[in-house]
Amino acid sequence: MTTAPEAAQKGVGVKAPSRRIELQEYALVAVVALILIVGAILEPGSFLTSDNMLNVVRQASVVGVLAIGMTFVIATGGIDLSVGSMVAAASIAGGQFVDSGSFMFVLGAIGMGVLLGGINAGAIAYGKVVPFIATLAMFTMARGLALWISDKQPISIFNLEGVRWFGTGEILGIPSAVIVFVLVTGLAWVLLNRTKYGRYVIAVGGNREAARIAGINTKRIIFSVYVLSGFCVAIAAILVAGRLSSASPIVGNLYELDAIAAVVIGGTALAGGRATIVGTFLGVITFALIFNLLTLMDLAVEIQQVTKGLIILAAVLIQRRS
Amino acid sequence: MSLKRLMAPLCLSLALGVAACGGDDSESDQANTNTTTTQEEQGGTAASQDGPVKIAFSAPGADHGWMAAITDNARAEADALGDVELIAAEGVTDSAAQADQIETLLAQDPDVLVMLPNEGDALTPVAQKATEQGIPVVAIDRALSSPGAARAFITGDNYGIGWQAGNYFADELECQGNVVEIQGIAGIQVTEDRSKGFTDAIKRRCQDGIEIVASQPADFVPDKGLSVMENILQANDQIDAVYTHDDDMAEGVVAAIENANRQDEMFLTGAGGSKAAMERIQAGGLFRATFLYNPVMSASAIRMARLIARGEGFEELKEPEVPSQIVVPATRVTQENVEDVIDLGF
Repeated sequence: MTTAPEAAQKGVGVKAPSRRIELQEYALVAVVALILIVGAILEPGSFLTSDNMLNVVRQASVVGVLAIGMTFVIATGGIDLSVGSMVAAASIAGGQFVDSGSFMFVLGAIGMGVLLGGINAGAIAYGKVVPFIATLAMFTMARGLALWISDKQPISIFNLEGVRWFGTGEILGIPSAVIVFVLVTGLAWVLLNRTKYGRYVIAVGGNREAARIAGINTKRIIFSVYVLSGFCVAIAAILVAGRLSSASPIVGNLYELDAIAAVVIGGTALAGGRATIVGTFLGVITFALIFNLLTLMDLAVEIQQVTKGLIILAAVLIQRRS
Repeated sequence: MSLKRLMAPLCLSLALGVAACGGDDSESDQANTNTTTTQEEQGGTAASQDGPVKIAFSAPGADHGWMAAITDNARAEADALGDVELIAAEGVTDSAAQADQIETLLAQDPDVLVMLPNEGDALTPVAQKATEQGIPVVAIDRALSSPGAARAFITGDNYGIGWQAGNYFADELECQGNVVEIQGIAGIQVTEDRSKGFTDAIKRRCQDGIEIVASQPADFVPDKGLSVMENILQANDQIDAVYTHDDDMAEGVVAAIENANRQDEMFLTGAGGSKAAMERIQAGGLFRATFLYNPVMSASAIRMARLIARGEGFEELKEPEVPSQIVVPATRVTQENVEDVIDLGF
């Protein structure tokens, strides 16, 4: 929390990351390692196989891409509750071009994601609507749009080989969705940690007034993170559609909560001013591992829910200690 | 919010006032064209034969293909019947809002109220109120908790879906094999019934011959069905069949199996009766059968409401009145009979 105003005051030359964040990232590595060890003992035959590990990262990729975008939003002290619904809207928008080929599907999805993200952005940055409310409005609007445009029917994209490649293809044995997720994570890391833009985002979240005085166009920065989130939504939508071989208006339910939880468990401060891409990545992986292991064990859902809650609490407590 | 709170009692008192006015003096109704329907109620359920029947319709928001079809079918049936005037309200997602919405509908003085309650328990009071005002209630799909609250109830057979599926599995697998169950939303009655029917049938037919190797909820949505099934495929080397609680969700389960290239190892069944599922069954392959829980029941409910308003019964039944409860069987749809029912797909 203290780094951001300092960064803003000293101008753009200051590095944003703090020691605290590094420690948290290491703590989460320990949590992931612990889950891997426990899983290997409880499910020796099926958990710690390369096939299943790729499966886990592939499953993590959709919420993962959303969580990366969410990290920038939360870094500014904002929140985006609409990403789950927007995934449905973006994939349905892409689905409108099902007869025009994969490229048009991708364009349609990106267009809708950026458009809806832009509406969030405009309302928050220039309309001065609180992010919670603006994106809550979009949460219901985007779902409605998805159902409306699709006439409440899923759209089969079985013939779009290109889009399906994102869900089912692979390069050198690594699923394409995993490659996309890792690529997005890498780009986001550079953007947040090695560019002026990244430092501005942190500065705006730490102390907006100080950032403004330091000469940062705070409105433009806030506008940009919601558009970025919308762009990540489009990527997630393409991954989901590719995986399902169809664009469905009812996908994406409550993805926003998974994304926010992953960001927070990763060490990014909900109040803004402190953010870590590596932490978010590990947070997403942690959740995917838990979900995978509990399903492999075929535990009853109520036990899964209690266990999941306990693990989240424990992970955050371990972080606080370190 | 505050406006809504003000409006609800206002609408209610209006509705009561109109009813009371009709009760005191039927002649005063003649002067007021808006209250002609109230006059009809005074003659018991025997409404006038020539005037259109005014039906109020309320269902929760369409967040799922099935729910969307419920509202669409009701509207289409009202249009097709010709002598029915439908005042419909939809789009709410919680029970309190639906109760408010129904109060508003009642204020427009319908002859009958047709409702699909978001939750049976929570919507019972408002249904009770309608009944007490002399407006008969036809409930769809989910039962109200008080027996007096609804005049008639039409529903599908969730236990029957599970029971039929269990028997189908017993036949197809000859009581041998590993089975996966992908459930709906954990902890709701629909899921409990569909699950219990299935396990009961399998136990009864095969004792321990068929093993349910995994049973997990996927909340009736395809993306959750996909990731749950992906994990289950990792854990189990041999799966002979998959029983899913819903056709939409099954789309995701199918994708998981096909992506893993294991579609020749097993077959899968759905529930509900979506058009997409029926097309898959018709094409043959992994998706072998579904069990109807057909949203055409809302169209039947409109017909029942019309007959109740007119004081008539079903032509095919000896009883002069509409039965108070109808349970629609969970018809099994396979490649053999899919042609006959594909038009019912939603």
